[in-house]
Amino acid sequence: MTEGSAAAPKLTDRDEFRFLADLVFKRSSGDQTFVALQDQHGGTVRFANNQVIQNVDTRRISFSVTVAFGRRHGTAGTTDLTAGSVQEALTRAERLARVAPEDPEYLPPVEPQSYPTVPTARPETAAAGPSGRLAHARQAIELCRAERLTAAGIVSSCAAAVGVAASNGLFAHEERTEARFSLTAQEGEATGWASAAHRSIDRLAVRERTRFAIDKAKQSVEAKEMPAGRYTVILEAPAVAGLLTWFIWMLDAKAFYKGTSPFSGKLGQRIVDPRLSLKNRPDHPDLLGYGFTSEGLPVNNSTWIDGGVLRQLSYDRFTAKEHGVDRIATLESPLLSGDEWAKAGVGDLIRSTARGVLVTTFWYIRTVNPTDLTLTGMTRDGTFLVEDGRITTAVRNFRFHDSPLRAFNEIEAFTVPEEAVTTETGKLLVPAMKIRDFNFSSVTRF
Amino acid sequence: MKALNWDELAELALSRVRAAGAEYGDIRILDSAMQTVHGEDRRIAKIRDGRDSGFGVRVLYRGAWGFAASSILSLEEVPRVAKLAIEIAKGSADLLSEPVRLADEPVHRDRVITPRQIDPFSVPLEDKTTLLLDVMEYVHRQPGVVRSRANLWARRDLKLFVSSEGSRLEFDLLAVQGDFEATAVHDGRFASRSFSTPHLRTGYELIADANFLAEAPRIAAQAVEKVKAPPVDPGRYDLVLDPEHLSLTIHESCGHPSELDRALGYEANYAGTSFLTPDKRGAFRYGSPHVNLVADNTEPETLAATGYDDDGVACQQWDIVREGIFVGYCTNRETAPKIGEPRSRGSNRADGWGSVPIVRIANIGLEPGVASLNDLIADVKRGIYIEGHGSYSIDQRRYNFQFGGDAFWLIEHGRRAHMLRDVIYYGITPEFWSRCDGVADRSHRRRYGFITCGKGQPGQSGWMTHAAAHARFRNVNVIRGQAAP
Repeated sequence: MTEGSAAAPKLTDRDEFRFLADLVFKRSSGDQTFVALQDQHGGTVRFANNQVIQNVDTRRISFSVTVAFGRRHGTAGTTDLTAGSVQEALTRAERLARVAPEDPEYLPPVEPQSYPTVPTARPETAAAGPSGRLAHARQAIELCRAERLTAAGIVSSCAAAVGVAASNGLFAHEERTEARFSLTAQEGEATGWASAAHRSIDRLAVRERTRFAIDKAKQSVEAKEMPAGRYTVILEAPAVAGLLTWFIWMLDAKAFYKGTSPFSGKLGQRIVDPRLSLKNRPDHPDLLGYGFTSEGLPVNNSTWIDGGVLRQLSYDRFTAKEHGVDRIATLESPLLSGDEWAKAGVGDLIRSTARGVLVTTFWYIRTVNPTDLTLTGMTRDGTFLVEDGRITTAVRNFRFHDSPLRAFNEIEAFTVPEEAVTTETGKLLVPAMKIRDFNFSSVTRF
Repeated sequence: MKALNWDELAELALSRVRAAGAEYGDIRILDSAMQTVHGEDRRIAKIRDGRDSGFGVRVLYRGAWGFAASSILSLEEVPRVAKLAIEIAKGSADLLSEPVRLADEPVHRDRVITPRQIDPFSVPLEDKTTLLLDVMEYVHRQPGVVRSRANLWARRDLKLFVSSEGSRLEFDLLAVQGDFEATAVHDGRFASRSFSTPHLRTGYELIADANFLAEAPRIAAQAVEKVKAPPVDPGRYDLVLDPEHLSLTIHESCGHPSELDRALGYEANYAGTSFLTPDKRGAFRYGSPHVNLVADNTEPETLAATGYDDDGVACQQWDIVREGIFVGYCTNRETAPKIGEPRSRGSNRADGWGSVPIVRIANIGLEPGVASLNDLIADVKRGIYIEGHGSYSIDQRRYNFQFGGDAFWLIEHGRRAHMLRDVIYYGITPEFWSRCDGVADRSHRRRYGFITCGKGQPGQSGWMTHAAAHARFRNVNVIRGQAAP
């Protein structure tokens, strides 16, 4: 690739966003006007069968204007930041707001806020470009080729300028970066998988994670079929993250108060193992936290589960006001941790297990019963029988039907928190867990 | 239609591609308009009117792909992006073991306009919000209903596709949909029942004809009946599945495994591979002789009926499963030659200007049989009739699946008895389809569209329609969907 030819385009900076926002506010006829910007540039190199199958680079600008007249509001968006297009978006938003019915839950934009300084952007990620992504992909492919395995995966990186502003003086702008790597190593029908996400592309640990996936694939050859049933399971961090993500998504306060939440009536009660705590840590260097939400609320450290007790719900602004909640906690950087009894790693959990099933990750998790948060999903890319403290064989993939509200009360042991990124979740820090009586309801054919 | 001359921008990009010596290039310029009106608990919570415009340039250089895209549609940005796509393709070529060879396709020059009577963007917003507020009000008249939701959605895509081979295709594609839902609470439990029009490439007449207000009392009453219904007793049951429910079963257990890129390993790291490997084509028994699954991207009003795909290949009709035997794949110009097919099936689609096209499920439908719904139910001693979409999950080779549904009725001695709750059935795909012993006739056929079919990295939302008449499946494993104590 030509040196420097793929230089990243300059994203909308703080002053440019302020100018744009002020322009909209001056021209708006609304009682309140709110604007949001996302200017993103990034790309993904995708490989399969040990070669690049897709290599993309995209610059996308998204700009939206929300106008309110009293409690009537409407939002219009555009991907074109020319003056004419921004004016046209404002006009459309005004037109929608004028004819919209009154929304009894409408609240004006939040007042100007102070935001924490969160290290959201890393220059090496913004500068990586197609050649940087290809270099990481090449490393993963060559390691797999050397082991006579087949690699499929991605390396992606992106930088974004994100801003929100309102006619009442609210203003926030920050740059964010993110890089991702995931790999499925295949040996015949056997697969091993690893995944990572980080603000810094230099922290993807491509070599180490590729080796991890290769080892899993090699261990997965000749999987034996085990009957469905209840097993002690050792869930590696991505498998725990799969369950916890649905748990987090269901913490909605409005549903809680309307009686349509699995947590209804449980605020202040112990809902999981008393050794567990769930916190929001936007400043954690290994999480993907940011300084403000899409509404311009500051993100802060907060505690959601403390000693197994549910302490916090996810409030929209109206429900928070209705229930006298003056500071809205967010949970975009989840850290689930156990107490001082945590073991060092998955190996320690395996060594302490007489008989159980080791699960690398889950796939296609969906709710089956929202009342008790019963979920289903399949094990994927490395499922093993553990006997007398060691892995004795790979086993065919299971389907589970179980609820994290039940499973997280059957914990025998857990590790210190580890980075976890799955195909269906964001990034979390969670422990691997050993759980009793986990319900595998059926078996697949591989 | 457009301020800048799109043909000139396309030529600007393709002239760079040709000058660089690429063997193939194309550009898609797209201007999408979307409107959503979202109602929740008797209020209009969100009205959003979005415009999304941009372009993507795809280049094949020495057998390797490069793709670059931008939302800045200008005379300066187009050549920058075209140059970047070429450079990316050159970089990809360094990590290539088998160069891409494209299946031949005639040059097409055409304009496609999908059918519509009433432009949804011309319908007064007041009419839309009034409809949603009224339907939510009707839903809440039913005692026991505590929450409601109602939505209207429309999208119009104006698109130009131009390729270095000489194809020039202009599109005006419209799609519309609406739905509502009632949620009831009883004895510490809650349950929802929903009504949805299909997503179709038609006009606002779809919403007008659906008659939400007439349907609202029935849906609300069934939400309450559902939450109070007895849970299913686990066991083996005969299932009679309605077309809406079957659309999801077809999508997950037939549509995805018939995508050739998956069968060839392209999706191994994300959406998964396929149990329908190329060696099985023409010989593998996927289902009973009652099972005929046909791909048809030519049926008017269906989501994949766009005239041409994003390879510039004309839409077609072909068999996926004929009398229970797996016979065909969904392909694009890249994958078709890998199984010896001379022409692509025209199933390469991107979800916008910023996404590279990938193999997508066609409009796959279950061909009607000869029975009536009453016939199918009458011959069931102990079974369950299932309507609508519920919980669903399937393994990464599309083998071990489980489905719920939106509403369930116990069938006893050939008659629908009462509603059930917490019904989940599961099985292995070819075994399940082999249990199909009857499909209702064409008068029962309905079409349902999908616009959130996830695939690809970065993830894209695919669009397709699945049509079916009611069908019966014998002796299927059913469990109760709740965490055991």
